[in-house]
Amino acid sequence: MNYFTQSFADAFQLILALDDELYFVVWTSLKISVLSVAIAAMLCVPSGLLIASSKFPGKAVLQSILNTLMALPTVVVGLLMFGLLGRQGPLGEWGLLYTQTAIVMGQCILIIPIVLNMVISAANTADPRIRSTSIALGASRFQQNMIFISEVRFAMLAAIVASFGRAIGEVGIAMMLGGNIEGYTRTMTTAIALETSKGEFEFALALGILLLLVAFIVNVFLEKFQKLNK
Amino acid sequence: MKTAAYELNQLRFGYHNSEIVNIDHYSINDGEILALAGPNGSGKSTLLNLLSFLTTPVSGEIRYFGEAVRQNTQADFRRRVGYLQQHPYLFNTTVIENIELGMKLRGINRQLRHGRAQTMIEQLNLGKLANKRAHELSGGEIQKVALARILVLEPFVLIFDEPFTYLDKSFSGEFEKLLLAIRENRTQTIIFSSHDYLRAQLIADRVCSIHHGKLMDEAHVNLFHGKYSKEQGMFNTGNISIRLSEIDDVEIIAIEPTQIVLSRTELDSSMRNRYRGEIISLHARNDHIEVTVQSGEKFQVIITRAALDELGLTIGLPVWISFKSSAVRVLR
Repeated sequence: MNYFTQSFADAFQLILALDDELYFVVWTSLKISVLSVAIAAMLCVPSGLLIASSKFPGKAVLQSILNTLMALPTVVVGLLMFGLLGRQGPLGEWGLLYTQTAIVMGQCILIIPIVLNMVISAANTADPRIRSTSIALGASRFQQNMIFISEVRFAMLAAIVASFGRAIGEVGIAMMLGGNIEGYTRTMTTAIALETSKGEFEFALALGILLLLVAFIVNVFLEKFQKLNK
Repeated sequence: MKTAAYELNQLRFGYHNSEIVNIDHYSINDGEILALAGPNGSGKSTLLNLLSFLTTPVSGEIRYFGEAVRQNTQADFRRRVGYLQQHPYLFNTTVIENIELGMKLRGINRQLRHGRAQTMIEQLNLGKLANKRAHELSGGEIQKVALARILVLEPFVLIFDEPFTYLDKSFSGEFEKLLLAIRENRTQTIIFSSHDYLRAQLIADRVCSIHHGKLMDEAHVNLFHGKYSKEQGMFNTGNISIRLSEIDDVEIIAIEPTQIVLSRTELDSSMRNRYRGEIISLHARNDHIEVTVQSGEKFQVIITRAALDELGLTIGLPVWISFKSSAVRVLR
């Protein structure tokens, strides 16, 4: 028990001392996950709205597949992407394996089903009068979509926050595609795994605490934003 | 001659095998108030959607102030019509932003649209609500803001779907006054639907109804203007007196044609309004008969074919009409 409490004390000390190594890892993690979420959102918001508003054969199947993919194991994504990006893989020439770009690509694949699914369900459950009212007010097709996104902004934001949580907390992809290279592709989660096995429990703990703090801050922002708009 | 606001030619609309609208020719004059009466499901909303260019007809033509509307120009015409839905939706922003939205979509600059929105807010007495968010408003307030959002665009035509059914009690009186003020100035054409025929004819210049997709103009019926005497409990039209239930003041009343009982002799019943008159016209309409009786005022009575045969009614025949005071609708 003494070891446990002592580790906590040491971990807080590291956090308060603004340890360079510690914060560099935090920064790398944030950068990668924010980028993944931004790319996924840019792809999924328009395509989600399009899927929700159109009818085509196989739509139900697509939604079942998306639902299944929401629970996609990170190591499976890591494995498949490793096969693609590895030197002998079809995209091996790009030389992306063990780079931050590779992690971003992997995380995008991980969270696209989440964002897409949440955007589609937000669009499906939204008040149908949003569209009919904007049409009656003379909105063009583009204006209708902008009004629609603005009306369902909370649901969109919830999708983004949920996918950010998934991206920043995953370890399989960052480990397999990033390779946990110090000062380059080491993220909070891969560092925690490594430092723990190295016996640097307090360093790992400090990262764990910061990881929770990031999640906490994001959620507080979400709540504030929702209150501000009500 | 003024150009008609709308001219409908061979207009057809329907889903699959059912034809909802089937109009050979109909025109709506510029500056008139037209009420579209008829029971629920008769196609009123469908026709309003066509007139506000929200749906495209299967075939036929709509001319809007002389211009033919085509599928590729429909969106442009949509901007010239103000359409108020049965249950209007306000966007999750402030009241003033909602009012400005239509102008924003039309690319009107911020200063101009703010000025116009402010004027509209003053006109409709919305000052206290201007900076509130939409979800903080009551049902009546939402309808009022939705109306302001349309009026501020100054469209040539205003279209309201069942305004008197769905409007909040707190706002419906005010809304009626507003319509009458617009009618006074003849600045805009107004088309509204209503399943309440009696109320529709009070406000509209013309009432038409949809039967099997076709539009028919209707005559105003059993609508009486007059003075009420509280002591006597009687409403005097100048020609006859009608007994009403206890009320404070009233200027216009109407009597539902189906609530009037027709008989060959005076009925000894609890119906306290009884008048002797003469049948001046008989018209068969769908599955019922419209009988017009002159007895100081003209009354229209609707009876079944069976009742027509049983009573042996003919034009010129002296008859009695009777109705309860509770059958009298106080309109204003």
